[in-house]
Amino acid sequence: MNPLGVAGGVLQAVVIVGGAPLVVGLMRQIRARLEGRAGAGVAQPWRDLRKQLRKQPASPRGTSEIYRSAPVLLVATTLVVAVVAPFVTTASALPAVADLFVVVALLALGTVMIALAGIDTGTAFGGMGASREVTILALVEPTVLVAIFALSVRAGSTNLSAIVGSVLDDPARLVSPASLLAAVALVVVIVAETGRLPVDNPATHLELTMVHEAMVLEYAGPDLALVELGSAMRLSVYLGLLANLFVPWGVATGPGVAALAVGVAAFAVKVTLLAAALALAEVFLAKLRLFRVPELLAGSFLLALLSVTTAYVLV
Amino acid sequence: MNPVEFGLAAAVAVGLAGTVAALLVPRPARPGVTGACVAVAGALGLTAGIAAVTGVTWSVHLPAVLPLAGVDLAVDGLSGVFLAVAGAVAVAAGIYGIGYARHGLDGRAVQAAFPMFVLSLLLVPAAGGVGTFGLCWELMALSSLILVLAEHRRRPAVASAGLWYAVMTHLGFVAILVGLLVAAGPADGGSFAAIRAAAPGLPPAVAGLAFMACLVGFGSKAGIVPLHAWLPRAHPEAPSHVSALMSAAMVNLGVYGVVRVGIDLLGGGPRWWWLLTLAVGAVSAVYGILQAVVAGDLKRLLGHSTTENMGLVLVGVGACGLFTVDGEAVLAALALTAALLHVIGHAAFKTLLFLSAGSVLHATGTRDLDALGGLRARMPATTAAFGLGALAASALPPGTAFVSEWLLLQSLVHGLPAAGVVASIVLPLGVAAVALTAGLAVATFVKAFGVGFLARPRGSGAAGARESPPTMLAGMALAAAACVGLAIAPMLVLPALAQVAGTLTRTGPPVSGAVTIELDGVAGAMSPVLLAAALVAGCVVVVVLVRVSAARPARRETRLWDCGGGPLTERMQYTATSFAEPLQRVFDNVLQPVQDIEVTHHRESQYLVEAVAYRRRVPDRIERRLYEPVLAAVAAWGRAGRRLATGSVHLYLGFGFAVLCGAFVMLVVTR
Amino acid sequence: MGIEMSGLTVQLLDIAAGALLLTAVLVVWRRELSVILRVFALQGVALAGLVAVLASAQRSVELGLVALGLLVLRGVVLPLLVRRSLAGAGPVRRETTPMLNVAASLLAAAALTLLALAVSVPLVALDPSPATRAVPVAVAVVLIGLMVMVTRRHAVSQVVGFLLMDNGITAVAFLTTAGIGLLVEAGIALDVLLVAGVLHVLTGRIRETFGDTDLSALRELHD
Repeated sequence: MNPLGVAGGVLQAVVIVGGAPLVVGLMRQIRARLEGRAGAGVAQPWRDLRKQLRKQPASPRGTSEIYRSAPVLLVATTLVVAVVAPFVTTASALPAVADLFVVVALLALGTVMIALAGIDTGTAFGGMGASREVTILALVEPTVLVAIFALSVRAGSTNLSAIVGSVLDDPARLVSPASLLAAVALVVVIVAETGRLPVDNPATHLELTMVHEAMVLEYAGPDLALVELGSAMRLSVYLGLLANLFVPWGVATGPGVAALAVGVAAFAVKVTLLAAALALAEVFLAKLRLFRVPELLAGSFLLALLSVTTAYVLV
Repeated sequence: MNPVEFGLAAAVAVGLAGTVAALLVPRPARPGVTGACVAVAGALGLTAGIAAVTGVTWSVHLPAVLPLAGVDLAVDGLSGVFLAVAGAVAVAAGIYGIGYARHGLDGRAVQAAFPMFVLSLLLVPAAGGVGTFGLCWELMALSSLILVLAEHRRRPAVASAGLWYAVMTHLGFVAILVGLLVAAGPADGGSFAAIRAAAPGLPPAVAGLAFMACLVGFGSKAGIVPLHAWLPRAHPEAPSHVSALMSAAMVNLGVYGVVRVGIDLLGGGPRWWWLLTLAVGAVSAVYGILQAVVAGDLKRLLGHSTTENMGLVLVGVGACGLFTVDGEAVLAALALTAALLHVIGHAAFKTLLFLSAGSVLHATGTRDLDALGGLRARMPATTAAFGLGALAASALPPGTAFVSEWLLLQSLVHGLPAAGVVASIVLPLGVAAVALTAGLAVATFVKAFGVGFLARPRGSGAAGARESPPTMLAGMALAAAACVGLAIAPMLVLPALAQVAGTLTRTGPPVSGAVTIELDGVAGAMSPVLLAAALVAGCVVVVVLVRVSAARPARRETRLWDCGGGPLTERMQYTATSFAEPLQRVFDNVLQPVQDIEVTHHRESQYLVEAVAYRRRVPDRIERRLYEPVLAAVAAWGRAGRRLATGSVHLYLGFGFAVLCGAFVMLVVTR
Repeated sequence: MGIEMSGLTVQLLDIAAGALLLTAVLVVWRRELSVILRVFALQGVALAGLVAVLASAQRSVELGLVALGLLVLRGVVLPLLVRRSLAGAGPVRRETTPMLNVAASLLAAAALTLLALAVSVPLVALDPSPATRAVPVAVAVVLIGLMVMVTRRHAVSQVVGFLLMDNGITAVAFLTTAGIGLLVEAGIALDVLLVAGVLHVLTGRIRETFGDTDLSALRELHD
């Protein structure tokens, strides 16, 4: 635990908590403009959060503490990841937690808590959303872990800082087929895990198509604010991981205010660009039927597996 | 006096005393006495095991106890691990059994078999020779069979489960005996030390035969696909504390056998042994959890999950053997450490889960998840216990299985750079299998916990549930404490396990560190304590921030959103079947469920539907394909044999006469 | 083959090989026949790129010409030909119900790639060089092409499967020998063109006779 890591960790948490709603706002704004609407502005998610936080907390009758604690855990797991993963600096506040397997499992824990909360409400919507979300989670897992495997072959470790560091040391490896395949596989994973098109439509409230929204339908007030903030943070964290695993330039490797400032700026630019690209792509995509999603995930699994074998073959 | 010797001897004495007491003591006091004896014997076994794991070895040869072979006992580190696990599970199960046995389980035979079963669980890993091992194994099989059959008067399914269990466990026993005897052929006597000494001289084909026979026999005990058919039958039908003992302590001994024979006695062996082990492990893990995710019976679900976890352990064992063949001793030790830690973790959470499932069964009278729900308000302690166990079982941090699966993945991931072509194909597939298993395990336990315990009751049994008596809760609390301890501070047991694994693979311990698990020889570190602390800190930060920024802190109770159509009924909730439906549909080709939808139309009009009946069954496909032809063949043989027995005494005498004459003719011809 | 390659060349070669495999996977993944054809054209370009990289590594003009020919033939002519037969192939524009569902065929493609990797080990061991190391990828493309032919119902996707296989074989040839002459390649190209023509005619005939190009309908001829 070194001072740079701690400073970077706090900085990362602040940047992600502050910036994540803006990223969501940006994506909505891009979509609105492309669809010919004026849009509500980039800061609208923050205004929504402020409004939600001021309301009185409410629990539906018959729900237990699982329902009440799930939003907190969703944000907390993402917050831990935001602190330990190398977004702004490669020095981690807690190197022993900055393992890629651990980070992925932590994010899954948040999903599971929300799914349990969905079941806990006892409504058909809650159960339906939980069932679908957990199905997608289970099918994504092989892709994630095999992609991690592919990335770790290069670095000889699954530690995030080590992987990012190895790319910085040898940038030529980045354009290898192994790394490109892993990147494509991870993009599919991120789309599935953050509930974006074509796996889930974050803007829909139609029972045929809802996944994430169905689970959190009962939430209101500050709880809803936490759920929305948590989802936004997850998106930023995933995009940040993708960016820094494959394009780590700009991340601070040594101490110094200037290096940290460059790190923050680079991180913000990378995540903004990725989010914009994602929003752009979403305009042209329709949501897949739920039972077509396994095909998408099987495809990304294949890419991840190919990435491992090509990492071995084409070395 | 040697602590191992003392612990084992005292455990045997207490266990035998418990059996005798169960036969003599009157009915009302019987569960208390046997439960206490079992718990004490378990605790003694636990201390003996811990002493053995920390390096105390003990062996003895008692020629007088058994005719011909005598009794060989030999306890080393590996035995110690399984001894300690069996002892610890017995403590929790013994205490729990005191309260659980009041429901018609206080008969003499059942109560006497209970200490015997625990005793045999302690003695199997301590056995040091083929004869002793076989004897203890058979004692274990018989005493557990009596316990499985305990409730046969109440449910007809118990008898069928018992029959399956009896047949499969004895076929497995035959395979094990064949394997051990083949291995012991050239050895000087039947003790394990003699087999170990003679193993390098075994021809490869003979060693392969011995290993294969042992893998089949031990695999059937561990519930490995395709020899798992007994497990989802026997586990749900046995009383819950017996299920816990069987699932958390007995199936482990299958793994113990594979490690003992394959790695220790036969000293490694060729690559295909371990590829086979890894493959059956991976298949069992995925198939087991797939069956669990669609299972609607709570205890059956847990039984399938046992198959899954033993599969994961065998993946670790197979990887260990593979790395040993490739000369990667450090990775081999790491894989074995992961496997042993998973054995311990599985024992802890499976004990907890089975005991809580028993508590639910006890309170609601049903194991059907579709009829449960709403137990959070009615049985808070049981709900907490099951939730903890579910977290531990689903490989999420901070959970018990997460640590061992992390270690297993680390060993697989680090194997690639050094590996040959075969390994470079096997290792990614192994990682994928472990990952899919982990993902489906999450789905399984979200279903079991969410549908079984949260929301509102779906049946009258669940609606009228009451919390279980304190002795049962005490047993569950012990198992819960073990789960928490293993999840937060695995470094309490890991160094000792690493030492055992290092000794077996002839290298140093692969893991070190106090707060952080540091891998030695490869890059990798993870700290469950810091992870848990970070999570807690994160939660505190979030809660404080919300409190600070929120305007009105008092919580209000509201109505569920019902689309304006009046209050929602319990029948409108998602059930376990509907929860698993998407996954069932995704894995349709593998599971091949049988579905049946019956629509009854209204009398007045064809367009009005009166009722829709939906029935779904997921028959075990492997079972249908593999067992039914065998059973049919056996039945056909039986029918053919019946023709020989017409009832005529003259015919029977004639058979004897013909055989005698035939034997004489053979003698004349061959001499 | 003992040609020194710079780091950049090796990377370009790897990327071309990766693209070859990726396009094969996409053919398995997608259902719309027009998308499949576009992907197939991309694969032709990747193949040409692969040969071009080899040509630049060996400084061989002949090989460069071959690359150009491949680009024209595999990247433009063949896809156009097949597209024309698709245009006349009836109303079905999608591979609706393949014999093996898409998710399963993707997993099968993964298994085939691993098989290709295992099979071509001795081949790579003969002469370890950056070019031969990409041989497993080409073999995988051959196997995937074969699988597409076996599991798809639509005649056009079967043609694509055949052409996929042919692309794979060509890639293997160039990666292992790097020296098959211009004439041989021209002969192969003609051959393939001929086959494509024959298949084109055949799909037309099938459609005229059955009003459809679902090949599983052919089984009825047997009954």
